[in-house]
Amino acid sequence: MRIRALVAKEFLEIARNWTVLVPVALVTFISLAIPFTVILIVPAITGRPLGEDAGLAQLGALLAPESVVAPQIAVEAFLFQQFLLLFLLTPITSAMSLAAHAIVGEKQARTLEPLLATPITTVELLVAKVLGALLPTVAISFAGLACYVVGIALFAHPGVFAAMATPRTLLIIALISPAAALVSLQAVLVVSSRVNDARTAQQVGLLIILPLTAVFIAQFSGAFLVTAPVLALAGIGLLVVWLVLVGVSVVLFERETILTRWR
Amino acid sequence: MIAASALTRVFGRRIAVDSVTFEVRTGEILALLGPNGAGKTTTMRMLAGLIAPTTGSVTLDGVTLTRTTGSTLRARIGFLTESPGLWDRLTVRENLHVYARVYGLADGEARIARSLERLALSDHADARAAELSKGMRQKVAIARALLHEPRMLVLDEPTSGLDPAIARQVREILEERRAAGCAILVSTHNLDEAERLADRVAVVQQRLLAIDSPAALRRRLATGRLLVRLNGDPSSYLPALKGWRAHAEGGQLVVEVQRIDDEAPRVVAALVGAGASIVEVRPEMPALEDVYLHLVAPS
Repeated sequence: MRIRALVAKEFLEIARNWTVLVPVALVTFISLAIPFTVILIVPAITGRPLGEDAGLAQLGALLAPESVVAPQIAVEAFLFQQFLLLFLLTPITSAMSLAAHAIVGEKQARTLEPLLATPITTVELLVAKVLGALLPTVAISFAGLACYVVGIALFAHPGVFAAMATPRTLLIIALISPAAALVSLQAVLVVSSRVNDARTAQQVGLLIILPLTAVFIAQFSGAFLVTAPVLALAGIGLLVVWLVLVGVSVVLFERETILTRWR
Repeated sequence: MIAASALTRVFGRRIAVDSVTFEVRTGEILALLGPNGAGKTTTMRMLAGLIAPTTGSVTLDGVTLTRTTGSTLRARIGFLTESPGLWDRLTVRENLHVYARVYGLADGEARIARSLERLALSDHADARAAELSKGMRQKVAIARALLHEPRMLVLDEPTSGLDPAIARQVREILEERRAAGCAILVSTHNLDEAERLADRVAVVQQRLLAIDSPAALRRRLATGRLLVRLNGDPSSYLPALKGWRAHAEGGQLVVEVQRIDDEAPRVVAALVGAGASIVEVRPEMPALEDVYLHLVAPS
């Protein structure tokens, strides 16, 4: 009940200051525009189908062997699936500013002390803060994903959509994306409750993007393909890390220090 | 009942509160007085369960405040912070609504409506907090502290920044809560308000310097004066007042006394014994302000 009350409050504040969601919408739009431009529009303009590129065809075969689907479809499916990783970054980068502001912002607005004087526990406060930042951005990100999937069904070559409908895709969308966002937001919240400036929290939080970018590049270079079982393990691992971070946030959230030393 | 027992709080090398012991009884208003930096806010934060004492303990309604009991006990207290701390983008009603849900009030809407009505805030219920004046914000913060009808109130300068009419309204509300059996601790710099509102006054400056009713404090801690109007030249009766500091002023005798109740009859007896024809004897008590300044003055 108390968590719901606080999450509702966070939503109200975001609704009254909806411009904070503009970056999320913008990143989502760019995440949509880039793959469709690279995979469908550019080849249409140049008249060179991607399937004719030997290198790309090799990468496509990693996902779907030539014996199963045509090279053009395999390449498109491979690239569309790789670009899915962009949607991992959307909620992370965009919710970062909300989470970074979560504790520091309340303290600076002097709204934290009356809240801490209520029966609310530290866990409830921190979970509410993470959900308040996560849910709106994940909602926008999922709306973008829906557009992505519909766009593939409508504009990609017939068969691409079917080739993409794999457990790997499902895991990226349903498990890895929200789990990675949870981990990064919780990490930012830990920092947010230890520093007295939202910018510091945000900059530290952005560090989590580095390993994800490395995975993104490695995927494209064909260095390795993260398979469905690996993704499942990674997702579970991320959730474990999130739980550990929740514990760490609770331990490191010092009501007294926040109230008495922050100015 | 709110009880502080040998409450001490140290920040680094600085002792903010040093072994303070007092209690706020049921149906009582206790005013906490002290200069800036005297440890009033720290004391109140400890009583409200926001920060832990370095040593000593807090007992609320007979239950010792600990990490385990903190959440439950905080539900029984209404705490008004130094700053109103409203969410600016939310309306007055929405601000209160969040707290009604946090306190788990089943009849939250009805209580919000009553609070708004009682504090004459109904017309501003749908205004955003950012649009309110300082006084209005303070009233909303008070409404928030009272929303769950707690039996214990800890209020940090509740009338600070309020105009006299609103300040009176707040005092009336506190009197109502006292009549309803609340234990109320109020910190204030307004000595006149402390005198009119509080049953007892505690003066703190890191330590507890004094605690008593305003009248008792005045009697006990400062010199009073007796103003004696009599027929004839007052200065001619000064020799009769050996043992007292006295002088003639404006056609009357001014006699300084330590304990008016004990000494007034003796002064009158001495003057009558000297043949004075007394017209009027008027005690002049020191103001609470004098008592306060006497207590907190550097030794």
